[in-house]
Amino acid sequence: MTSTLSGHKQSPALAVEPDAGKRKLSTSKAMQEAISQRMMRDESVFVMGEDVGSYGGIFSSTTGLLDRFGPERVRDTPISETAFIGLGIGAAVEGLRPIVELMFADFFGVCMDQIYNHMAKIHYESGGNVRVPMVLMMAAGGGYSDGAQHSQCLWGTFAHLPGMKVVVPSNPYDAKGLMTAAIESDDPVVFVFHKGVMGLGWMAKNERSIGAVPEEEYVVPIGKARVAREGTDVSIVTLSLSVHHSLDVAEKLESEGISVEVIDLRSLVPLDREAIVRSVSKTGRLIVVDEDYQSFGLSGEVIAVVAEHDPSLLKRVSRVCVPDVPIPYARALEYAVLPTPARIEAAVRDAVAT
Amino acid sequence: MTDVLFPLMSGAEGATGVIVTWFVESGDEVTPSTLIAEVAVDKVDAEVYPEDSGIITLLVEENREVRQGALIAQVS
Repeated sequence: MTSTLSGHKQSPALAVEPDAGKRKLSTSKAMQEAISQRMMRDESVFVMGEDVGSYGGIFSSTTGLLDRFGPERVRDTPISETAFIGLGIGAAVEGLRPIVELMFADFFGVCMDQIYNHMAKIHYESGGNVRVPMVLMMAAGGGYSDGAQHSQCLWGTFAHLPGMKVVVPSNPYDAKGLMTAAIESDDPVVFVFHKGVMGLGWMAKNERSIGAVPEEEYVVPIGKARVAREGTDVSIVTLSLSVHHSLDVAEKLESEGISVEVIDLRSLVPLDREAIVRSVSKTGRLIVVDEDYQSFGLSGEVIAVVAEHDPSLLKRVSRVCVPDVPIPYARALEYAVLPTPARIEAAVRDAVAT
Repeated sequence: MTDVLFPLMSGAEGATGVIVTWFVESGDEVTPSTLIAEVAVDKVDAEVYPEDSGIITLLVEENREVRQGALIAQVS
């Protein structure tokens, strides 16, 4: 951490979305590898947060980094989010590239002034003279009975506030490339990983959380959606764990002759509006699947993108989101509000019925 | 042919664990630097790498309970 302004090296030579190869990792290991590889050659990068050190991140986002880089560059912090996020902002302003973990997205409430009045606005308020090249990493999502204060997604809340990029990967390949892009970005990036895509043994593990990842460094550009599956009857625009569920549903319905296209947004800010319009222009039917709260958020924004472009494109439109209630602790109630494969399947059947 | 054993992670006699994830499939080529599996005992994780290079054959399914030291794969 003593090395400062000159420590950062740009890397124009990095591959952009290279072939995945054969070597497989979980999403959590892919994130660890991205951080580790960048720390190896850029002394301005360091990691800070609650339990990022010997514990390795409570969802394994930083496992092994303390052993490799030591406590100067991998710092456990007290439970004082305002203080350590402020510390990260200060370090970023002075030329370092901090990766700060908030742990649960739900904890944003106690430190939102630092996040959206400082991290997100310093570049603007300085007339573009001061940059904040910081990654704010956090875990999101439910499905494992952790209650209303530990199960939210909230990416739509961060995306609503100007000044932050908001990145939400669904798989190991994208997680590594987007993390590398996030560290390289001169703007503050909120990097939200759903616990259910990390490939952890103690959570319900979808096989899509394990996948081929190149061993070398590469970037996945922030702001570019991915066609996770091509189809012609209906477009599911979604992100994060809901991509896994949507692909599972699409595979199931293929045998019935229903062709589902799945768009993985990969980031909310910037939002790949062209990819949304391109897909709906083809299918005419749009379903937005989002594990965030339904109202005033991403799902409405996606539909507005199409409506503003050409409302006549939309033969059918619907949303599969969390209705506007806190996430219940009771398993049966929690699964009643989550965007489960059953709810997605029902929405697809409804869309293609007309 | 060399054996891949479930690592010894607990001092308890007869302790058991699970294969959390196989990162390879039977028939894949592996080397000592290939991450082949993540295993867990009492929620503590460990990574497994083969001692030799060759073609791997997996002998235990994911999430199946196995004893420490048990044969879980072979490399030939």
